[in-house]
Amino acid sequence: MEQDKGSISNSRISTATHAEEHLAETGSSAKSVVRVVLLSLVLTCVWLTVRFPYEAESGLEYLLSGPNRINPQTLHLRGEFVESSLGPAEESGGGVTVRMIAEQYLFVPQCVVVPTGVPLRVRITSADVVHELTVNDTGDEIKAVPGYVVESHLEFKRAGEYPMHCLEFCGPGHYTMRSRLIAVPLEQFRLLSREARISCARQ
Amino acid sequence: MPDSRWLAKGRDRLRGRSRRAGLTLAIFVLLGAHGDLLGWGAADPVRIPSNVAWTARTIAMASSGNALRGLLIARRCDRCHGHEGFSSSPLVPNLAGMDRLVVWKQLDDFRSGKRSSTVMQPIANSLSLDDSADVAAYYWMMPIAPDPQDDRAFPQSLSDPKHEAVAGRLITKGDGSRGLPPCQACHGPIGFVTGAPSLATQNATYLLEQIEGFASGRRANDINMRMRSVAVQLTDEERRALAQFYGAGLAEWSARPAGR
Repeated sequence: MEQDKGSISNSRISTATHAEEHLAETGSSAKSVVRVVLLSLVLTCVWLTVRFPYEAESGLEYLLSGPNRINPQTLHLRGEFVESSLGPAEESGGGVTVRMIAEQYLFVPQCVVVPTGVPLRVRITSADVVHELTVNDTGDEIKAVPGYVVESHLEFKRAGEYPMHCLEFCGPGHYTMRSRLIAVPLEQFRLLSREARISCARQ
Repeated sequence: MPDSRWLAKGRDRLRGRSRRAGLTLAIFVLLGAHGDLLGWGAADPVRIPSNVAWTARTIAMASSGNALRGLLIARRCDRCHGHEGFSSSPLVPNLAGMDRLVVWKQLDDFRSGKRSSTVMQPIANSLSLDDSADVAAYYWMMPIAPDPQDDRAFPQSLSDPKHEAVAGRLITKGDGSRGLPPCQACHGPIGFVTGAPSLATQNATYLLEQIEGFASGRRANDINMRMRSVAVQLTDEERRALAQFYGAGLAEWSARPAGR
């Protein structure tokens, strides 16, 4: 029995030492893993800065940062601002989303028809420099910033024409950068085709 | 230590599994946030006006042309676009002094069918991206100043004084009440937008044709609908006046874009 006890305690001790060795081993291997990971992280960063000097081009930032970051140079190629999805669109859950691009020196689409009495979700981005969409009558101001989608919520109570100006100096054509928003009752809005909702610009 | 090894193996397996699960979850989250990028949930067919996007890399590629190689390639263009970039036909654009990004983009649009032309599409198809950059560099170097030694025919038309007032106002001031920007803010000389050509020495007939094309949607390769938005709002008289003003060389003092 005593011998047995001794052997048990011996084996316990031996397991303890083995465990310590194992721990030390795993500790060193964990350290080397951390070292390799850190090194590869640094190398990746170096490679990214050398290979993609313009962050806007790497695509990585846009991939990691969610739906409100956007590459201003490729708006027309992919994403929610391709030209076939610009302008007002009725959402399935009620409400209307208006997508617009501000660029030197136009708001596109230049004339938008929206319904009255319905919450509007305006999503706007810039293709070049900072612009600011201002609805004259209501005083609503929406910044359009390249690289970001700015979302803001508007509602028009009264039907009619609302002129909009750019309020942020954006270049030599800034003074004529205007656009119009025409609010009509919802029933009338529903009768209009997508084309008609964005082509009210006059000659 | 069979038991501890087994434990370690189990732990490793568990770690690998959770890592895999984490990766899968991350991929799904990213796809969820960016599904619109892949065209998921887009009901309408997506219309892309041009495959060219003015990223730094594209600009570098388009402006890296070798003008000497371009000179050799451009001999094929002589018959229509003239020996020094001034065409003999009013329907064919003058290319002398044209910004190289403009020429490169239009060639790419012809190649991809985004701009249609029965003449230019097969020609553009025979050029590689580098060839396009070379040709663009060659025409970019051609002077726009008149030279009595060469055979350039510009201006091909004379301006009507009645049109000058209309065009002059649109070019320098635009029309704020309709949201029409001044032409010179993008087409020079006071400002240039990337990809917008200088119009100072362009043929009137060709210009009118292009304005009409943008207005009717026959030509629709402008990025973010810039020209279509403007052209559709111009009246017939204004379109003619603008084409004549540029076509008569009245804007010839215009400079080429600086720093490109």
